[in-house]
Amino acid sequence: MVEDVAPQEYSEKGALAAHADARELVRLVQCPQCSKPFNAPVTLPCGHTACRSCLPNPVARTNISYPNTPDRLLGISCPLASCGAEHAAAECSVDVTLTKLMELIKNEVAKHLPLVADMPIHLQEILKWDGDVAMEENEKTEAKGNSRVLQGGRLVSTFVMAEMGDLRYSSEVEYKTLSDAHDDQDLNNALLERLRDAAQKELDCHVCYNMMLDPTTTSCGHTFCRRCLVRVMDHSSICPVCRRGLHIPASLQNKPSNTLLNALLNGLCPELVEARHRAVEAEEQGGDDDLNTPLFVCTLSLPTMPTFLHVFEPRYRLMMRRCVEGNRQFGMVMYNRNSAPQGDMGSTQFLEYGTLLEIVNLELLRDGRSFVETRGIGRFKIRRHGMLDGYHVARVERVEDLSLAEEGLLEQSETTVANEFAQRYQQDNPDMPLPLDVAINRFSTQELLDNCMTFIRQMRDASAPWLSARIVQVYGEPPEDPALFPYWFASVVPIAEEEKYSLLRTTRVRERLKIVYSWIRRIRGQRW
Amino acid sequence: MAALPKRIIKETERLSKEPVPGISAVPHDDNLRYFDVTIDGPAQSPYEGTLLPPFGGVFKLELFLPDDYPMTPPKVRFLTKIYHPNIDRLGRICLDVLKSNWSPALQIRTILLSIQALLGAPNPDDPLANDVAQQWKEDQNQAIATAKEWTEKFAKA
Repeated sequence: MVEDVAPQEYSEKGALAAHADARELVRLVQCPQCSKPFNAPVTLPCGHTACRSCLPNPVARTNISYPNTPDRLLGISCPLASCGAEHAAAECSVDVTLTKLMELIKNEVAKHLPLVADMPIHLQEILKWDGDVAMEENEKTEAKGNSRVLQGGRLVSTFVMAEMGDLRYSSEVEYKTLSDAHDDQDLNNALLERLRDAAQKELDCHVCYNMMLDPTTTSCGHTFCRRCLVRVMDHSSICPVCRRGLHIPASLQNKPSNTLLNALLNGLCPELVEARHRAVEAEEQGGDDDLNTPLFVCTLSLPTMPTFLHVFEPRYRLMMRRCVEGNRQFGMVMYNRNSAPQGDMGSTQFLEYGTLLEIVNLELLRDGRSFVETRGIGRFKIRRHGMLDGYHVARVERVEDLSLAEEGLLEQSETTVANEFAQRYQQDNPDMPLPLDVAINRFSTQELLDNCMTFIRQMRDASAPWLSARIVQVYGEPPEDPALFPYWFASVVPIAEEEKYSLLRTTRVRERLKIVYSWIRRIRGQRW
Repeated sequence: MAALPKRIIKETERLSKEPVPGISAVPHDDNLRYFDVTIDGPAQSPYEGTLLPPFGGVFKLELFLPDDYPMTPPKVRFLTKIYHPNIDRLGRICLDVLKSNWSPALQIRTILLSIQALLGAPNPDDPLANDVAQQWKEDQNQAIATAKEWTEKFAKA
């Protein structure tokens, strides 16, 4: 058992240099098991890599029956010290990207060798002992290992020594140039440059065509950016390259990255890795700063009230993921079923007023769908909209109620006018009922609410099905705040959503209560 | 609109720098997700052009990359009229990789090659244009003659 390659943070260290870091560079492509350059490398589910021939033979796993495919019933116990877990044989395929990289490296080295045929260099292996047992046996922590005289400058000779099997994975190397004619630095740099160019093509993700970011390797041995793989899994559960089924969707967030590819990327081009990180961060934030509210086009939601969503469409899976990573908020808007023009925007797919929702809880199912519990936190009107990765995004403007002072003045003037009118009307037409709007306008805001509350009590006494205990448990008891009562009422009352939608546009409490009151009158009319 | 993804930029570059023989795809200036495509009918197929005038055998198509491309396949349609059992009169194409067998590892280039291959290998057992497929099954020689006739008539360069 040996230590694995230490993962590096992308911004921690600069690129490895061909001359100074020759040992480090070669170690990157050395198998920690056999110490030779990788041959048919397998990247294990734990993210570490070893040659296929260095893996122990698969043995039957005991007490495992799911998923029940033959190759999952065989286990390979991880030879790497930091892991030690038993991996399903099905998940130990040859790493396609690394295999290509190794071929490429071997080709470049072979091409390079003739150029440096007259540059002998003496390599002295310095063994590192880091186990406790070893410490007891050897007083010193360093000991001389193999020593070789090889052609080809530091980088190539170190690689050749590893190929010969004479350079242990954990060992360091001391170099002594035997020809004083040349300095091999330039040649080393040129080789590394060629390797870097050649490698870059292999290190592009097959989905986004960018350099792999957080490379994640599937059980079939194909590697993608983690976020690309996650998005692919929103749409299907097969590998984009070989179409083999992947049993990973929901747990992908916890799947370890390809440690070795990460180390290679960070070693060869840390500045590109960092640039990719920044680009992706900007992309995830939506690119267009202005259109910063993602829209879920689905149903009517109301402020302070819960909305429960079943998210299955790929585009909304992505949107939910981004929301959860961001401020957990998104806008809910209804479909524009009649293609009615929406203000300045013309006929859009959705209605222009909506409700900002906050994710309270997200239950991710195994297959990538999710159940999302949300709560309305405010209303908005859409100002501008666009698309982002298949879903709508918008710039929204909050819709707020008028100030309490204005609300008060409105109540005052409305009730006064209505009362005066009613007096005159009743004098002139003593037997006629008041016109409906006047009758409603005479009520004070509090009276409107009391009327609504009375209705709720009556309906409860009559055991109306839409006020069953289960519904009240979800939406709570009716709020006593007249500003909020209409939202609660609209959440429970069985009338068309298009009608309830009118509440979203209101900016006055009294106006909302009057809408609710008109619904109540209608329901009463239907019942009696 | 969000910025054009790097992938689309790279694909477009490669299509113009390393074009596929017999296939061209050029994006519109005002919409880089919308491509004018031409595909030459494959040799030894009824869709092949002639060596002498009127040459022909060049089919025009339109290709659109939807907003969630490459997660979803490009939308492709023949603009040139074509007599083929897997292409209907609206130019819609019945091809698995354009639908359920799409994979994000495929690309514009491979899709257009698949369409070109479809011209070389009509599959009347999985038809989109039922009348054409039936003709193909009942009298293949006649069907091929009609396909040639249509190629001459409509698929001019």
